[in-house]
Parts: sequence; structure tokens; C-alpha cells
Amino acid sequence: MDYFSEGLAKAVQLLLALDPETFSAVWATAAVTALALAASLVLGLPLGFALGHFRFPGRRVARLMVDWLLSLPTVVIGLIVYALFTARGPLGEWGLLFTLPGMAIGLTLLGLPIIISMTATAVESTDVRLTQTVLSLGADRFQLLAATLVEARFAMALAAASAFGRIVSEVGIAMMVGGNIKWQTRTITTAIALETGKGEFATGIALGIVLMLVALVVNLVVGLLRARSAADYRGRV
Amino acid sequence: MSGPLYRLAGIEAAYGDGRSVLHVPHLEIPRGSILGLAGHNGSGKSTLLKLLGFLLEPSAGSLEFDGRAVDAQAWRNAHLLRRGAVLLGQDTCLLSRSVAANVAYGCKLRGLSPTREDIAAALASVGLEAKEYAGRPWRQLSGGEARRVALAARLILKPLALLLDEPTAGLDRESTGHVKAAALAARSGHGTTLVIASHDLDWLSNCADTVLTLEEGRIVSGQG
Repeated sequence: MDYFSEGLAKAVQLLLALDPETFSAVWATAAVTALALAASLVLGLPLGFALGHFRFPGRRVARLMVDWLLSLPTVVIGLIVYALFTARGPLGEWGLLFTLPGMAIGLTLLGLPIIISMTATAVESTDVRLTQTVLSLGADRFQLLAATLVEARFAMALAAASAFGRIVSEVGIAMMVGGNIKWQTRTITTAIALETGKGEFATGIALGIVLMLVALVVNLVVGLLRARSAADYRGRV
Repeated sequence: MSGPLYRLAGIEAAYGDGRSVLHVPHLEIPRGSILGLAGHNGSGKSTLLKLLGFLLEPSAGSLEFDGRAVDAQAWRNAHLLRRGAVLLGQDTCLLSRSVAANVAYGCKLRGLSPTREDIAAALASVGLEAKEYAGRPWRQLSGGEARRVALAARLILKPLALLLDEPTAGLDRESTGHVKAAALAARSGHGTTLVIASHDLDWLSNCADTVLTLEEGRIVSGQG
């Protein structure tokens, strides 16, 4: 156990000393997560609303597709994005392979189905009386959309927190599309994998502590949002 | 503007399965009048109110509102029609906001910002004191208080027509009194046309200019 306690002690030192290499990975993780989450929300919220609110031909198939994408292995997503962005790929000339934006696109494909699916479920489970109430007060379609999104706000924040948790802890896409380049595309998860492989437990543990803290905060937020969301639907008169 | 507020001719309404649930050969509702709708559960009162509130499009017949034909073009902008005829349905709910935000919501949909005094006046009209209730979250209201807040949210809009579906069902005596008084004050104060569906036949016969009885989606008695 000595190596573990020594690694833990060194990890705390690295964090307290704001070790540049460690915090470079933290920064890269924050940047790609922010980009991917923002893109997932911008695209996913309206799509999720449409899927949950409107009745259209092919809706069930669309729902099945989203659920299928939810369970797609991340290495497969990484492989697809790699194939698209590689020099010989159809989007190779964009030069996105081994860059933070390229990683963010790959991670968006991971977060998007989560946002769409959970938003659709939130909108579907929004009190059916809400639509008639808002329409009877004179709302147009966009105002109805806004009201529904506001009423389902805690459930959608829950979706965002879930997507965040999945994106920030992802390793397969980050490794394949980002290339794990030091000071550039090395994230917390890819750095942990690399450093552990090299026997550098201290750096791995230091980054693991950061990731666990992030996971703890995300879980606390998710728990709070879940409680608020449940309370909203219990008490409506 | 003269002439009736609503004019219906040969109206048929159906739900998704195509089965006709409402048949109104002719009905005129004068401006500023009170029309009572009586009938058993499932007789078509709520369906007629939804039609008058432009939440249900007729499958046949012609409908005029405020002197204008409600044609396909008008239905495409049904929210504009609904801003003139506001329904307080049996399944109305409050939004998960404060009481004041709920009362102001319809105004905001119209691009208006009611003052605190406007909100206080609307709450006072249903017997709720703004100082006590305005900042209260919606979930802290009793069923009767919530119904009165929902009514206040419609009264502040001063609509041409206020459509009330069983507005006093399940309320205690105090809330019932406030709801009835507020509805009648809207007619006397702003000339709002009231259409009220209720099982409280004494109230309807006392306050309504006309009471129609519906049965299986048809008007079987009363003057239309």
C-alpha cells in the first residue's frame, strides 16, 4: 500500500502547487466539456422539445434512434469521428483531428442523445393541463414552447447535469479524436490512463481526485434537481 | 361594435376518432350577456366552451366572433382569437411561479407589463390580499385559493368573453362566493360576456340572461 499512500501524498502536493501539467489537463477537460455541453444543449433542447411535444409520423422511430444512440459505445463514436476527421476522411481538410474543437464535436455526439432523450421525457411528462392553460391565456407556439421549457426547467437541468457527467468522464472519444497530446488535447481521463500506464500514480491520483470532486458536485446537483423536479409535479393544483 | 359577440351556425365538433360530440344548429351570444350552460356530465358543456375559447376547431359549420368570420386563416392565428375569449377550464393549472407572476402571465404574453397595483386589484377582485398572496409560491396555495388566482389571471386581461367551466366545483362557501362575485363584476365593470357551465342551477338561473341545457352534445332547452 506504500505506493498508494505515497502517490496520494504526491498528488496533493501537485494540486496544492498548481502543477502546470496537471492543470493543463484540467483546463483542456473544462474547455472541451464546456464546448460539447453548449453544443448539446443548443441542438438538443429544441429537438427534445419537438420529440416530446409534437405528434408526427415517424416519431416512434425517431425516439428509438435516440435511445439507440444513447447506448452506442463511445469507442464507436470515436472511431466514426476519427474516420471523418482523418486526413483521408471526408472532413479531413477541416483539420479538426487532434484538436479541442474536434474532440468537442465527438463529445457532442455523446451528450446530444442524452439531452434530446431526457428533454423529450421531461416535456412528455409535463402536466398535460399546462398546454391548455397556456394556450387559453393567448400564447402563440413560441410562447407555448418557452412556457413548457420553463416549467420543465429542473428536469432539463437534470439532463444537462447528466450529459455533463458523461462528457467530462469520457475517455474513448477523447483518446481517439484528441490524440492525448501533452499541453494541448490531454484531458483528465486520458492523462490518468497514460500516467497510470507509465507507473506515475501520483499524477493519476491527483487528476482522479479532481475528477471525483467534479463527479461529487455533479451528483449533488443532480440530486437537488431531481428533488425539485419531483416536487414541481406533485404540487400542481 | 354592434351585433352579437358570437354567432354559430351549423356547428359540428368531433374529437380524434371522428365521432361528433357537439351539434349546434344556431346560437348567438349577445355582447355583455351571461349565458349559462347546464347539463349532465358528458353532455357537451366543456366541448362547447372549448369551441368558444378557440381550443377546439369545429369540423363543420360557421363561426363568427366579434363581427368577424373565424375562417381557416383565423384558425392559423388562433392565439389572437384566444386573447379575446379566455377560458378557465376544469383542468386549468397554475404555472410553477409566484402568485403575482401567475396573474401577470397572460399580460406578458400580450407584451404588456401590469403594475403592482393592477395585480393587486385583480387579486382583490377574487378576495385575495396582494400583501399576503402576491409573493407566495404557487405550491403554497389551497385548491380554492389556486382557483381564485387562476380567475384573477384571466380577469386582469379584461377579455371580451370569459368562459368558465364549473368555476365553483369543489370550492368551499367562501371561495365560491368570491368566484361568483368576481365573475359578475367583470360583466358589470368591463362589459365582459360570460359563458358559465355549472351544475349550480340556482346560480345560473339567478345570474344568467339565458340558460341552455345540453344533452349528448345538443341544446335541448333554453333560448339560443
